[in-house]
Amino acid sequence: MNGSPLQSPIAADAGIDAAAKGAAARRLATHRRARLRASLLVLASQIALLAAFIAFWEYMTAFDKQAAFMFGSPSAIAGFLLTMARDGSLWRDTYVTGVETLLGFLVGNVIGTLIGLSLWYSRFVSRVIEPFVIALGSIPIIALAPIIIIWFGTGLTSKIAMSTLSVVIVALVTSYKGAVGVDADQINLMRTLGASKFQIFRKLVVPASLTDIFAGFKLTVGFALIGAIVGEFMSSSEGLGHAIFKAGSLYIIPKVFAALVATIALALVLTFIVGKVEKLLMPWRRLG
Amino acid sequence: MSAVVPPAIAAGARAPVQAGAPPLVVAHVAKSFDADGRVVPVIGDLSLTLNEGEIVAIVGPSGCGKTTLLNTLCGLIAPDAGRVSWFGREMSGQPAGVGYMLQKDLLLPWRTALRNAMLGLEIRGVPLSEAEERAHVMLDQLGLHGFADHYPTTLSGGMRQRVALARTLVNEPDVLLLDEPFAALDFQTKLLIESDTAKLVRESQRSVLLITHDIEEAVSIADRVIVLSKRPTRVKAMYDIALGTERTDMIAARESAGFVDYVRRIWADLDVTRQ
Repeated sequence: MNGSPLQSPIAADAGIDAAAKGAAARRLATHRRARLRASLLVLASQIALLAAFIAFWEYMTAFDKQAAFMFGSPSAIAGFLLTMARDGSLWRDTYVTGVETLLGFLVGNVIGTLIGLSLWYSRFVSRVIEPFVIALGSIPIIALAPIIIIWFGTGLTSKIAMSTLSVVIVALVTSYKGAVGVDADQINLMRTLGASKFQIFRKLVVPASLTDIFAGFKLTVGFALIGAIVGEFMSSSEGLGHAIFKAGSLYIIPKVFAALVATIALALVLTFIVGKVEKLLMPWRRLG
Repeated sequence: MSAVVPPAIAAGARAPVQAGAPPLVVAHVAKSFDADGRVVPVIGDLSLTLNEGEIVAIVGPSGCGKTTLLNTLCGLIAPDAGRVSWFGREMSGQPAGVGYMLQKDLLLPWRTALRNAMLGLEIRGVPLSEAEERAHVMLDQLGLHGFADHYPTTLSGGMRQRVALARTLVNEPDVLLLDEPFAALDFQTKLLIESDTAKLVRESQRSVLLITHDIEEAVSIADRVIVLSKRPTRVKAMYDIALGTERTDMIAARESAGFVDYVRRIWADLDVTRQ
């Protein structure tokens, strides 16, 4: 198709003279600088806000013994973090809770997503089990904790089970929502191309649901962590939930906050990893 | 019935062809829908024939059931009455050897242009290397050389529609069903794609049924224009288009002597002003 009229604009594009190219590059560089400046400003504001909050907290508790006891103080929290880091309990507890969260997250999402996606196959089955799913989803997971401890013991398994239960229904619902939300025209297109139901599922429904599935991942990272911590609250000998519970019952408020800081850090790291994996698995989304 | 080619149902097979039978015959098709207990007749009594190597355009007032007709033809919905036969065989399910293209390009965003174009071949189990090769050739023919590895989000509307066209043509369909495929494109892009489509289709002697609301598009590209009535739809008028020019150049077609006259007569048939 040489000489096709369509190619002329592309050819012309390649022929842009150097001067115009230089100008375009300069404009692009200016634009990039402006964008970088804007995001630096946001970051600086965030740091300033955090610093102001910590300073206010420190100031309010510095001269008031009772306030310092009730609310802890940033310096005391930092002190506890340092001690816990030195004696290794910080790393050990974070590691244990991290493993529980990660395993619960994985098991819950794999089971939930598999069921949610496969429900796409049968409108009938999904309608039959819908009320049961809603009923299970409305159970506060903490209410199950005593039974879970009885069934799975006081060790790692019960925490993973708690974490899994916190995740599985959400994963099921989000992936099912993604699967049934696939554009009907797109399904018709697959059918007119001669696709079998399994081919439609594999080549269209699963990849099309990835956006919703990953939205579910981001949501369930937090839920998995909550499940693990609640499990540790009930009965445990290690983990961040255990540390929080123990320090709390001994009224060592700064230590509670120190363990909380570690919990937040863990949540941020896990969320960050999920975001990275999402970008890796859905390269086309970066271009939109 | 001795001339029936043995049905080849295997992946990638063409429709079983009855020698001499026109690619598509629609006989007295009717279709109604149930809207909150009320029966709404959409297609009244519709008959038409698409001959081999022919480009037929169907125009009609908006909301006249064009899309219902298309869905009936491609077996996505069943008619209440009447028959649809492809190549002399009454239809059951999806007809083989028929390619579709809609206004929405429906490209899969997670697939590159090349992988989108080879979707149909992949589904039919054509070996990957062969599918890639054929899709590449088709993209090149449609002026998308160098864009094979682009994701749809990075392509313009015209390019996306070209990829959709490649996805349709790469399966080598005997018949193309086009439902306003160019309606969302700007005027210049539209003329270029129409010309390229006409060229590819006429070179390979494929038959085309084009559903459109654009009278000028219908007259410039088609051998025959069928005008539909308002709902319940029936055929209101039919025009054999004789423009006396090379029928792959949309600009020449629009400049030819008879063009305006056809457009005016079809416009009058559509009776738009009184709606």
